[in-house]
Amino acid sequence: MTNLPLWLIPLFPLIATILLGTIAVTSSPSKKGPAEGIIGALAVMFPAVSFAVVVVLAYSMPEAGIRETLCNWIDIPMFKADIGFLFDGLSRIMLLFVTGIGTLITLYSVGYMHGDRGFARFFAYINLFLFSMIVLVLSDSLLLTFLGWEGVGLCSYLLIGFWNHDINNCKAANKAFIVNRVGDIGFILGMLCLVTIGGAGILNYDALNQFIQMIVSGNHVDIVVPALSVAGVLFFIGCTGKSAQIPLLTWLPDAMAGPTPVSALIHAATMVTSGVYLLARLGSMFVLLPVVLDIITVVGMLTAFWAAMAGLFQNDIKKVLAYSTISQLGYMFMAAGVCAFDASIFHVFTHAFFKAALFLGAGAVIHALAGEQDMRKMGGMIKKTPVTACVMIFAFLAIIGFPGFAGFWSKDLILEKLYVSGPMGPYFYGVGLLTAVITAIYMGRLIILTFFGEYRGSKESEEHIHEAPAAMLLPMGVLAFGAVFSGYLWADSMGITFFSDTLAPVVGSAQAYNALNHIHGHVNPMVFAGLGTLAAVLGMFIAYKIYGKARVPAAKGSSAPQGFKATWTFFFDSVHKYCGIIPVSVLAWICDVVVDKILQAIQWTLGAIATILGDGAASFQVRKVRLQVAFSIAGVAALVIVVLLTGGIV
Amino acid sequence: MLLHLLVIAPFIAAVLMVATSKEDPKSSSRLAILFGIAFVVMSVMLIAAGNQATNPIEWFRIPGTKGPVYYYLYSHGLGAWMVFLSCALSLVAIITARNTTCKNFRNFVIGIFSLMGAMNGTFLAADAVLFFFFFEAMVIPAAVLIAGFGGKDRTKAAMTFAIYTLVGSAPMMVALWYLLTISDNSLLLSLAVALQSLPEGTQTAILVSFLLAFLVKTPIFPFHGWQAITYAEAPAPLSAILTGAMSKAGVFGFIAWILPIFPLSMSVVNAMMWLGLVTAVYGALMALRANDGKKLLAFSSMSHLGLAVAGVFSLSEAMLPAVLVLLVAHGISAGAQFFLMGIAERMAGTRELDKLGGLASKNPVFSTLFGAAGIMSLAVPGTAGFIGEFTVLLSLWDMGPFPALVMGFSMILSAAYMLRFIQKVIFGKQAREYEEGTRTSGLEGAAIGVMTILLLVFGFHPAFITNSLHLFDEQAVEQMADVNKAEGEETATETMEMDEDETPIQAMSAEELAQLDSTLAANGFSEEERKSLIAQISGVESQLAASDSVDVIQAAADSAVMLADSAKTNVEALNKEASND
Repeated sequence: MTNLPLWLIPLFPLIATILLGTIAVTSSPSKKGPAEGIIGALAVMFPAVSFAVVVVLAYSMPEAGIRETLCNWIDIPMFKADIGFLFDGLSRIMLLFVTGIGTLITLYSVGYMHGDRGFARFFAYINLFLFSMIVLVLSDSLLLTFLGWEGVGLCSYLLIGFWNHDINNCKAANKAFIVNRVGDIGFILGMLCLVTIGGAGILNYDALNQFIQMIVSGNHVDIVVPALSVAGVLFFIGCTGKSAQIPLLTWLPDAMAGPTPVSALIHAATMVTSGVYLLARLGSMFVLLPVVLDIITVVGMLTAFWAAMAGLFQNDIKKVLAYSTISQLGYMFMAAGVCAFDASIFHVFTHAFFKAALFLGAGAVIHALAGEQDMRKMGGMIKKTPVTACVMIFAFLAIIGFPGFAGFWSKDLILEKLYVSGPMGPYFYGVGLLTAVITAIYMGRLIILTFFGEYRGSKESEEHIHEAPAAMLLPMGVLAFGAVFSGYLWADSMGITFFSDTLAPVVGSAQAYNALNHIHGHVNPMVFAGLGTLAAVLGMFIAYKIYGKARVPAAKGSSAPQGFKATWTFFFDSVHKYCGIIPVSVLAWICDVVVDKILQAIQWTLGAIATILGDGAASFQVRKVRLQVAFSIAGVAALVIVVLLTGGIV
Repeated sequence: MLLHLLVIAPFIAAVLMVATSKEDPKSSSRLAILFGIAFVVMSVMLIAAGNQATNPIEWFRIPGTKGPVYYYLYSHGLGAWMVFLSCALSLVAIITARNTTCKNFRNFVIGIFSLMGAMNGTFLAADAVLFFFFFEAMVIPAAVLIAGFGGKDRTKAAMTFAIYTLVGSAPMMVALWYLLTISDNSLLLSLAVALQSLPEGTQTAILVSFLLAFLVKTPIFPFHGWQAITYAEAPAPLSAILTGAMSKAGVFGFIAWILPIFPLSMSVVNAMMWLGLVTAVYGALMALRANDGKKLLAFSSMSHLGLAVAGVFSLSEAMLPAVLVLLVAHGISAGAQFFLMGIAERMAGTRELDKLGGLASKNPVFSTLFGAAGIMSLAVPGTAGFIGEFTVLLSLWDMGPFPALVMGFSMILSAAYMLRFIQKVIFGKQAREYEEGTRTSGLEGAAIGVMTILLLVFGFHPAFITNSLHLFDEQAVEQMADVNKAEGEETATETMEMDEDETPIQAMSAEELAQLDSTLAANGFSEEERKSLIAQISGVESQLAASDSVDVIQAAADSAVMLADSAKTNVEALNKEASND
């Protein structure tokens, strides 16, 4: 048991943000930026210290977790909230990989962002992101989680639009923020809904769990379920925004406009998984709400399938990975929807490794090709950048669920939980398996187009292809290691259940409650493993057949993300356009052109009438002396009468 | 003393400024900044000092009325924070105007100081006539400044502004005069009492004329016709003061004068809440389409103030601190944005969004501030705006999910227009070669930087704002009690008035009495004080026939909570009298 206070964890990135932010602002007017060595060292050091603190705390944590209330935040008559932290099994896992992978990717960025004028600014944003993300997973109440929740959204906005001289990047950033805002309003309203049910204190996770326990033990479940369901749906809307699920998924492909390390850190490994984290955190509430759970499962299933299909048609290497992320998030939501919260968090964990490795590998490829992102202009890269290729291939094997690799264990687990979840289980399982085949196809396509065959770019660019510097390769190596071995933390068929044991104190009771109410069938896990392997191999085979020998069509135009003009996103952009943007624009047009003009017309008409009347009165006064005198007398008389009637002059 | 200083000293400062050089903005700005800092310091002291009041000085008598008009200032948390806004924004305005308004800077400062004095008077006046006097007086320096220092359409803007707001408050003047003819004096409590004796129709008419004045001043849809053109044409530092401090006079009026005086029926409350919400959405939609940077900010202000008004009329328990935080947050962030827009206009020579852009690479410090101020106006958690909007949303949720949904919609829209605004002004490539205007000076940058830091501080520790509403300065309360006693011959009528003051609460059930008891306890009343107040109420109850509607009780309970401090004064006075007898 150590005495390290919890607030140390977010403190270090915060200090780094303030330091680097100050350096960035003060040095910005000068021509030359600050020394990259010092900035890079600062930027990596603080998250690393934070990671060290997390490791120390993770070793010494008692099973019930560590709770710490820092100070009061809001204190008004109807609402009180504290700033407090909660370090338990769930936040431990999240923090370990958030700070760990965060540090690695920061190190990678030092190499990737070399020579960029906004070097210091970039790392200030990255550290601000890490601070927000840590607050998100470490907080002990929904309100503070929301601070991190919007904080990471803000950083995502800042980093997507990092190269802000290009207006398309800014548009993509705006889109990300606004779509997320829609989800965030859901989150806020969800909180208000909970406050109505149980008072302001209920926003605290411990208090919420106690409240749920009280309801369950008192058999009052039926009374609160309608209100809780509303809250659950609202929270889920928040999650769909942050984790890019149907219908709020369109921002993530566009978000690839940001620098690649950002895509790896924010839009693959950490921020987008916060929706899954929230579902697990509120697990005890969600198990009471079968309707909401069904919605979550179906949405997750559709998203997983949909995004996998979309991934087949992308030519931008980062966009393939973006759709793949959405699809994998869909798996996590499916798992959460059948109350397998530990399995969904496990997939978050393994996915963080292999998807970050894939993104960093893609970043190294883009770096080697001086910014080229179109896969049709790549090919044969394995000869020039062997290390990157190896990392990418390991991560590829992990994501398609090749036996022994990380994705195999976690995806298999999810599919198994889906199958035994209830009467609809086999159908969910079928779609999941089909999606796994498609995953193998589009990922196989990515690997084949990038690393095999002949180089399809221009001759002069071919000479410049080089392997990435060590600062970039080291993090990639570590992540590739994770992509291979992180799955062995919970290898059911080998009898290792370390991962689920660490999560059991947090989500165990919720899952046990669910298990009570649903009949489980039992199927030999080896069958699932076999089918999963078959899916991966089949997908790879199809990809090889289609793309291995085929001629790749020459690239037409750019595939760079263009804000609202993104490539085909399976019509969700159109849905947003026709259901969101156009109605609002029409409404705004009506306000501006119709209502406001009418109001102005009334206003000026009144003004004109007053002017005319005034002119008329003036002409009276000048010319007709008698009338004027008569009016004066009448006026004085009226005044006198009024004064007398109201009590006279004292 | 502090109160007198804050109201009168700005006018003296304005006169003193005449002595400085007209041609040389540098020399006159030094004195002006010194004065400005002094006022900010005083306003902070005022907040720290808690509730206090001056001695009422008999000012004059209006023909036809019973009582005199007092020069009587009184500060409570709400007013003190509004005074802080007016002083702080004036200081920053003086700092930025030095670079923006070079010609005849001295006269500009004179106008700013007079405006500040009038605003402080509005927020501190305890006497209705005094309040109205300052409320109208604000318009004059503002209109003169617009006409003298504004943009192309300045004459039209100044005329629209002056006429619209003066006409808007004309009915209030008549209504106030009518109320004065039947009330003992023009203090809040006697007005409330006097109103009770009127037939319902007259009450409604008076209410409408009061509401109209504040609706126009805020402004609330559909009385916003003056706003966009005024804010756009006024010099940017003045726009910042107008939106950051002066527009608050409207919301302040709702809280400090409408709610305590009028027994509001549920339909009026609902109508006002929906007007606020419609304004919020309408302003946001207009901002989406605006192509003039300052007009966009004007509509954004309108949207936020609509939320504030909706919050006021949610009448929940959390309403007062929630709205106060929202107002302070909006005052600072909108003020900062107007200042920055002024700088952008100065640098680029235009405020049309399509002709702006690319300032991020040209002037990164400015752009950092610009982006920060813009994002902080979006109610991102950790900034004061979030505390304000979240708690207002909480109050609205109390009224039902639908109002809360509408507010949520306006929050989404606010992100849409604000991000578009930021993008158009600072990101992308420069639309054309800008003629070099003065860049952000260090002092300017620092002043606006402090404003953004304040937003963060209030965002993490809103208790600075919310606690000022609980503050009880025993001395000030005793002093006020003494004042009431010292009035000698009037004591008799005052006592009667105090009895009558409680009449709205007469029809309270035991349950409601208990509720009142607990609210009083929450406001820091001791055991005996509560007992005596409750006894007082039940005594009155037995004496008088109860005919008031439930709404009256509601409103009275609200006003009781809000004016708990003045109620406390009454209790003190009653106690003292009891002991004297």
